Amino acid sequence: MATETKVLDSWVLAEFATPEALVDATQKMREKGYTGMDTYSPYPLHGGSEALGLPPSRVPFIALGGALTGLTVALSMQTFMNTIDYPLNVGGRPLLSLPAWVPITFELAVLMAAFGIFFGLLGLSRLPQPYHRVFESDEFRSASTHGYWLSVPPTETAKSEDIMDQLKSLGATHVTVVTGENE
Amino acid sequence: MAETAAHSAAPLDPLEPRHLVAPHHDDKSLNETLLDHVWRKPGKGWFMLLGVAMSALGLLVIGVSYTLFKGIGAWGNNQPNSWGFGIINFVWWVGIGHAGTLISAILLLFQQKWRTSINRFAEAMTLFAVVCAGIFPLLHTGRPWFAFWLFPYPSTLGAWPQFRSPLVWDVFAISTYLTVSALFWFVGLIPDLAALRDSSKSLIQRRIYGLFALGWRGSGRHWHNYKIAYLLLAGLSTPLVVSVHTIVSFDFAVSQLPGWHATIFPPYFVAGAVFSGFAMVITLIVPARKYLKLRDVITDRHLENMNKVILATGLIVSYGYLMEHFIAWYSGSEYEIWTFYVNRARGPYAGVYWLMITCNVITPNIFWFKKARTSIPIMWVASIVVNIGMWCERFIIIVTSLSQDFLPSSWDVFTPTWVDWSIYIGTMGLFGTLFLLFLKFVPAVAVAEVKELQLELKHAAVHGADGVEASAAGTLTHGVH
Repeated sequence: MATETKVLDSWVLAEFATPEALVDATQKMREKGYTGMDTYSPYPLHGGSEALGLPPSRVPFIALGGALTGLTVALSMQTFMNTIDYPLNVGGRPLLSLPAWVPITFELAVLMAAFGIFFGLLGLSRLPQPYHRVFESDEFRSASTHGYWLSVPPTETAKSEDIMDQLKSLGATHVTVVTGENE
Repeated sequence: MAETAAHSAAPLDPLEPRHLVAPHHDDKSLNETLLDHVWRKPGKGWFMLLGVAMSALGLLVIGVSYTLFKGIGAWGNNQPNSWGFGIINFVWWVGIGHAGTLISAILLLFQQKWRTSINRFAEAMTLFAVVCAGIFPLLHTGRPWFAFWLFPYPSTLGAWPQFRSPLVWDVFAISTYLTVSALFWFVGLIPDLAALRDSSKSLIQRRIYGLFALGWRGSGRHWHNYKIAYLLLAGLSTPLVVSVHTIVSFDFAVSQLPGWHATIFPPYFVAGAVFSGFAMVITLIVPARKYLKLRDVITDRHLENMNKVILATGLIVSYGYLMEHFIAWYSGSEYEIWTFYVNRARGPYAGVYWLMITCNVITPNIFWFKKARTSIPIMWVASIVVNIGMWCERFIIIVTSLSQDFLPSSWDVFTPTWVDWSIYIGTMGLFGTLFLLFLKFVPAVAVAEVKELQLELKHAAVHGADGVEASAAGTLTHGVH
C-alpha cells in the first residue's frame, strides 16, 4: 500500500466542549472547503444539519412510497378476494363494499409507511454497521454520552497535521487521528 | 427540594410553575443518573416483585395450558355469553396500551416538552399491554394453532377472509399497532443503547448493547434522517392509536345488540382508553421513579399534568355514559331503554354497574383539587380505582348486553371460572415480568431526549426567558462549562 492512500484512510477527530462550539467549528471548516465531515453528538445538534450542508432528508419520500404501496395493496387485495375470486354474499350487501375496505386500507398504509420510515432510516444511515473507523479512538466513546465530536477527512491539499492545527484554533479541546479501513 | 428553591427565587410563569429537569444536571450527570439503574445490581425489592410477577405468570401458563387441553368450554362462556373474559380483558389491555402512544406521539406533535421524561416508560407499557391483549382473542378463536387462518393467504381451502367483518379489521389493526409501537420504541431507544454500549464496564455488556445499538455513533448525517423519521413515526402513530380503538369499538357498534349499536362508541372508547392508560402510567411510574431515583426528571409536574389528563378524559367518559342513557331514552326503542335502565342499573350485574359509575364518574373529579393532583398516595390509589372502573365498564358493556338480549328464552347468566381468572391475573404477571425486565435492562427514560431538553432550557435562559427556566438554566450553564 502506498503511503498516500494510508493518509487518505485516516481521519482527524476533534472534541469540543459544547454543542455550540461544535456547530460553529463545523460551519467554519465547511467554509474553508472541507467536505465529507461529520459531527457526532449524544442528541441532535441545533443547526447541525445546516452546518454540514446536508440536503433535505429522503425519509419522507420513502414513507410516502410505503403508504401508497400499503394503500394500493390493501384496496386491490380486498377487492380481488371478496369481489372477484371468492364473492361472498352477506345479507345482499354489494360485493364491492368500499366503505368496509377503509379500516384495513388505512392500517396497511400506516404499516407500510412505518416500515418505510424504519428501513429507510437504517438504509440511508447504512446501519447496522458495528464497525466504523471513529470507534478506533477510545475517547470517542463519549460521543454517545456527553462529548461533541467532529471528524474531518484529509484532502489532497491539507494533511492531517494542518487540519489538527486549524481545529485547535477553532477551540477543540482534544484532537486525534484515527486510521481504519475504508468504507 | 429544588422546586422549593426555585419557587422562592424567581417570579413564576403561571404556565411553567415547576421544573421539567432538576437544575443541577449536565449531560454527564444526566447520563450517570439515568443509566445508573441499568448498571446497578437490582435490589431485593426488584427480585421480590419479579417473584410475585412470575408467580402470576405461572397462573397464565396453567390457565392457557388447561384451555388448550380442554377447549373454550373451560371458560365461563356460554350461549348467549359467547364473549366473556376473553374480550373484556382484550379491550381492557388494549385501552391501557393507548396512553403510551398518546404520550409519545400526540404530545410530541403538540410540542409538549413534559412528555420527554415519561415517553419511554409509557411506550414500553403500550408494547407489553398489547402483547397481553393479543393473548385473549388468540385463545378465544378456540384453536389458536390455526390463528394464521385470520390472515389472507392463498390456502388450499380456497377461501379468503370476510373483509366486511370488524373482527378481521381487528386483526389488521392490532398487528399493525403492535408492529408500529415496537418500531417507534426501538427507534427511540437506539441512541440510548449506544450510550449504554459506550458507558458499559465489561466487554460482554458492551457487545450485547452494541449489537442492539446497530453501530449508532451519533453522526450528524444520521441524526438528520433520524429526527424526521422519529417525527414521522409519531405523526403516523397519532391517527393509528385513534383508529385502533375505533376499530375495537366497531366490534360492538357494528352489531345490532341493544347497548352496543351506538354511534358514540368510537370517541367514547378512545377517551376511555386514554383514561385508563394514563391511570396505568401513574400506577407504574409512582413506585418506579422512587425505586429508580428518577425524581429529578419525572417531577411532580409530570404527575400533575397526567392527573389533569385523567380528569379531562374521565369527564369525556362520563359524558359518554350520559349520552348512552339519553339516546336510549330518546330513541324510544324499548330494548335500548330496558338495557340501560333495567338490565344494567338494576339487573343481575347492578353491583358491577354502580362500581363502574363510582370509579369512573365520581373518582376522577377529585383531580379538580390541586391537593389531590399533587398528593402521591391519593393519585396512586385513584389510578388503581380508575383501572378497576374501566374493567367494570368493559364487563358491563359485554356481559349485560349479551346475557339478556331481545329474546328472554335465550337469556343466561355469565359466571367466570377459575380458568378465566387465572388467565386474567396471569396476563398481569406477564405484564409485570416484562416491565420489570425492561426497568432492569434498558433506560426507563429517554436519555438523549432529556439531554436535548436540558440544552433547550438552557438556551431559553440565555435568550432572556424569565422564571424557573432562567434560574434552572443558570445552574445548568454553570454545570456544563
